[in-house]
Amino acid sequence: MLVFIVRRVIVSFFILLAATFVMYLLTANAGNPLGDLQESRAPNREALIEARIRLLNLDTPAPLRYFIWLKGAAGCLAPFVFECDLGQSVQGQDVSALLGVAFTQTLQLVIAATVLAMILGITVGIVTALRQYSGLDYTVTFSAFLFFSLPIFWVAVLLKEYGAIRFNDWLGDPTVPIGVAVVLGVVSGLFWMIVISGDRTRRLTTFAAAFVASAGALWLLSETQWFADPGLGVVVIAVTAVGLAFLTTALVAGFTYRNVLYAALASAGVGIVCHFALDSVLDDPSAMIIVLLALVTVAVGVGLGYALGGLQRRQAIQAAVLTGLGTGALLFLDRLLGAWDTYSDRVSGRVIATIGARTPNFQGTFWEEGLDRATHLILPTIAIVLISFATYTRYTRSSMLEVLNQDYVRTARSKGLAERGVVVKHAFRNAMIPITTLMAFDFAGVLSGAVITENVFGWTGLGKLFTDALTRVDPNPVMGFFLIAGAAAVVFNMLADIAYAFLDPRIRLS
Amino acid sequence: MSDPTTPGPGPVPAAAAAADVQGMTVVARTQAQMVRRRFFRHRAAMGGLIALLLIVLLAFSSIGFANVPGWWDKDYWSIATVENGGRPTLSVIPTWLGGSGVHLGEHPFGQDNVGKDYFALTMRGVQQSITIAFIVGIVGTVIGTLVGATAGYFRGRVEAVLMRFTDVMITIPLLVVAAVLGRRYGDSGIVVLGLVIGLVTWTNLARLVRGEFLALREKEFVEAARAAGTSARRIIVKHMLPNIIGVIIVSATLAVAAAILLEAALSFLGFGVRDPDTSLGRLISLYQSAFSTRPWLFWFPGVFIIAIALSVNFIGDGLRDAFDPRQNRVRD
Amino acid sequence: MTTPGMPIGSPLPDPAAGQGGLDQPAVTESAAEVHVATKLEETSGPGQTEVLRVEDLTVSFPTDDGLVRAVRGVSYAVHEREVLGIVGESGSGKSVSSMAVMGLLPKSARIAGKILYRGDDLLKKSPKQQRALRGKKIAMIFQDPMTALNPVYSIGDQLAEAVLSHEIMPRKQALARAEDMLALVGIPQPKKRLDNYPHEFSGGMRQRAMIAMAVINNPDVIIADEPTTALDVTVQAQILETLVQVKDEVNAAIVLITHDLGVVAGMAHRVLVMYAGKPVEIAETDRIFYQPRMPYTAGLLGSIPALESGGSGSRLRPIVGTPPSLINLPKGCPFSPRCPLATDVCHESEPALEPTDELGHVAACHHWDQLADVDDPTVFFRTESEAV
Repeated sequence: MLVFIVRRVIVSFFILLAATFVMYLLTANAGNPLGDLQESRAPNREALIEARIRLLNLDTPAPLRYFIWLKGAAGCLAPFVFECDLGQSVQGQDVSALLGVAFTQTLQLVIAATVLAMILGITVGIVTALRQYSGLDYTVTFSAFLFFSLPIFWVAVLLKEYGAIRFNDWLGDPTVPIGVAVVLGVVSGLFWMIVISGDRTRRLTTFAAAFVASAGALWLLSETQWFADPGLGVVVIAVTAVGLAFLTTALVAGFTYRNVLYAALASAGVGIVCHFALDSVLDDPSAMIIVLLALVTVAVGVGLGYALGGLQRRQAIQAAVLTGLGTGALLFLDRLLGAWDTYSDRVSGRVIATIGARTPNFQGTFWEEGLDRATHLILPTIAIVLISFATYTRYTRSSMLEVLNQDYVRTARSKGLAERGVVVKHAFRNAMIPITTLMAFDFAGVLSGAVITENVFGWTGLGKLFTDALTRVDPNPVMGFFLIAGAAAVVFNMLADIAYAFLDPRIRLS
Repeated sequence: MSDPTTPGPGPVPAAAAAADVQGMTVVARTQAQMVRRRFFRHRAAMGGLIALLLIVLLAFSSIGFANVPGWWDKDYWSIATVENGGRPTLSVIPTWLGGSGVHLGEHPFGQDNVGKDYFALTMRGVQQSITIAFIVGIVGTVIGTLVGATAGYFRGRVEAVLMRFTDVMITIPLLVVAAVLGRRYGDSGIVVLGLVIGLVTWTNLARLVRGEFLALREKEFVEAARAAGTSARRIIVKHMLPNIIGVIIVSATLAVAAAILLEAALSFLGFGVRDPDTSLGRLISLYQSAFSTRPWLFWFPGVFIIAIALSVNFIGDGLRDAFDPRQNRVRD
Repeated sequence: MTTPGMPIGSPLPDPAAGQGGLDQPAVTESAAEVHVATKLEETSGPGQTEVLRVEDLTVSFPTDDGLVRAVRGVSYAVHEREVLGIVGESGSGKSVSSMAVMGLLPKSARIAGKILYRGDDLLKKSPKQQRALRGKKIAMIFQDPMTALNPVYSIGDQLAEAVLSHEIMPRKQALARAEDMLALVGIPQPKKRLDNYPHEFSGGMRQRAMIAMAVINNPDVIIADEPTTALDVTVQAQILETLVQVKDEVNAAIVLITHDLGVVAGMAHRVLVMYAGKPVEIAETDRIFYQPRMPYTAGLLGSIPALESGGSGSRLRPIVGTPPSLINLPKGCPFSPRCPLATDVCHESEPALEPTDELGHVAACHHWDQLADVDDPTVFFRTESEAV
């Protein structure tokens, strides 16, 4: 295994090296970096041109210039021993410094969105595979095709218009007219009718229940002015947390043996108690405290699972930890929404932002700043999720269908294993093997995906750095961007191979 | 050996090879019939095919292409006075439904800032986007198949060199390399742009074809052909490629769909089709800020991109089902 | 001489050929017959308690081309420690009927009739109750051990899972039981083998592991669906031997499904022959081999290479023609198009299972008495040149 990894690392390194060379030549050929100066009418034109030639070593032929660049870049391998020198931009800024700032922005933008897209896509893919040829399956399939036929920048413009500008206008007087509530209720009814298939009576009751619940909730929320100052409240948190406990139990163990459920419920209970107990701590915490609390949650979950799990200790720990983290997330969301009112006042009602990563010069409590980030992230996240979610759904669906037809799934059923175990343990585990590759490719590709997203939403991350530099024919930032994107591609492909070996014991040996 | 490009089961001297070739043609024909039947029964794919044909027909017949004039009397470059705020005159609601009747009007899709006819502009955009996408699809498929087939058939050093090169190319994100190439060749016309982008989009197909070839070359009929002294070129072209034609066609179709979106993205970023020419992506890029005031400038090109990409994706799905019916069926 | 789809030239049918579309039942030349026969006799015979009874089971699948009637009325019963062989070509409904017993058919299947486990009708039970019996009281062994085990879990994991699906107990205890079972089916170093993955086992070992998995919950019935078809000839005998041994160990009845008459020869107490979704003959194993009363069975015997008379000298006598489509069954006896004894009545009405010249021997043939009149029932399938 170790030999396999070491070999893979060495090969990857040389591949990246060759790719930078190819890319360097292409970039050098992309345009004339002196173009703007040669057209300028500045009196010191010649001197400026001369200075830029020296700055970018333009008097050296491109293939040789690559090695000058490489010498500086080699320093990045050992950042504390040598200086990481990726050259300078045409304005004389240090590229490695530029990259550092842009990198954090981009990570914020893409990580949450990509993870969310994976989770949603894989879940929906599994459900559609289990319900092949149902109304849900057809609906999801069609939506998936629609989504990956959408240009992301086109979606982004629509999102800005309807998700931000018009939504913010509406927030000025957030009431839902009764007609709109009815229409949305019908939509929700249809949605649940498709999701919960069954015979005619069951579908009709589903429709009716969902219609009444959604339209009623909308009307109620509108009447109580909830949208002006949203929040979850302890009742909603408690009900959701208990639901979460049942859901995680159903997923990891089923209900034949109650101890797992007890552990999960206890975990949810502790969470709800914390809602009151930690009130003062959570008024304006630091990020550090939040991380600490998350760790404590995991520890408590493990403890509860261990104590209450009985014969199914392992499953109980899983369920308790998952429920605990879920409840914690609910508390977090509740607090974030609690800052809505003051935040809304401070940004004069334009809550959902269309441009940038943060409101310039905005300072406030942890929750206000958090909400500020969240409202900036929400639109780009939706855009990214919409597009890449479709790929995951299709891929997971076909992978699951393939696996569900395998003989060993039939064997698992013939043992008398419950359907939950058949799907989660046998089918999903095997279906994940090819999906891992897709996930690695996706992570490797998020940086190039960010190129478009950042341009549309005005984030000053790596993607924006790349397009700006390429427009100006500024080779060093372009190469800097590529170095990160290429390294990400290489590293994640390597991780995919290694993960593959871990997931599939047949590869582990050879 | 006879010319490897001769279609059909020509008389081949070696008895074994003759039997083999004839056997294969019989299989190939019935399989082709089955594929066709399954494809024509695939409703989404047929819908996509018809929609795509209609769009292509509309785009090329309306404003014409090259020196062939079209039936639409306006062109996409003439500046005119902006009438009625450049609003579209297209109406599809008949008078008896309370609309203004079904007619195209003077400027069915409206006019842009300087009064250019937006219908003509959009049609030009469709022409350019489709042309580029097909060139990219074809070039990428040909190179990918060649590289993959050569590597998979010859193995050894040839394979090592080709596949390492593929690994290198796959490391460079497509959008990044396409943007760099587009920056350089964007103003050289769409054919050149399509060709250079095609030069970097073959990597996945190459891997796919190589994998299929590695499996195929162990099959008996390939061994038999080799034992009969058939040339490598003939074995690849006549014996092996027909067996993976499904994989290649499906991949080519999906590559075209991806290329439509790639071209749109490049033009949107400013690294694709340049002024004075236009493409759908460029039109959206130009008018994205006009959305709240003149939304039609944004909607029409967008709807055409989606319609084209969706149609091609559906065709690809239908082809995949047609070539591999097993994939979408549960065994019961 | 031109018989479609039959391996005329080959003296030995390929043991793996059974996976193709047309696997004519045949006998593999294996030590199984002689060797296991003694083994079966050494074990205790069938008891009096009836554990599984299938009554008039029918299964059909709606498809685009019409209703496929895969099983058209199967009835049988097995007692504890009894081995019942079910023999038929692929498409005869033998596997489908056993999947129906296991409750593993896809939802689209339409099932009618009764499946009585110790008197309780399984088809009337809730899915949950069915699941509680599946793997616990009625276990199954599948054809291809290469694909029947999940490649990503260790053997111990998969065996323990079979226990834990029915009983909550510490994992260690389940693994200990798994170890015992591996030892029982003759896998050396069972403790070490628990941590192995299926790909580290040979085909025969995997099938042993499958048997261990089937018996780990002390089932009353084991359904073995072509348990040796995918294995090497040399391994087949060992696997059958193991199967008979463990049957006694856990007092289970075995339903042995196969297309290979040779497999049932030394293995089964009774044999049920299926054709086109229906049983066509049921009798004690010896009767089936020496006094068949259904031409189809006789035809099967005719396609056995006759080892006694000098091997290569004798010809295989295959049954001409192919099994009928299950969508549009011909009127009359489904075997009549291929039957040398067929007369007008055979093409008109389908014969029911009726008693023949011996108690407990039933056959579905209008002309069974013609078979009773000859010494060698395979004579009807001889080609003209041979008959001279």
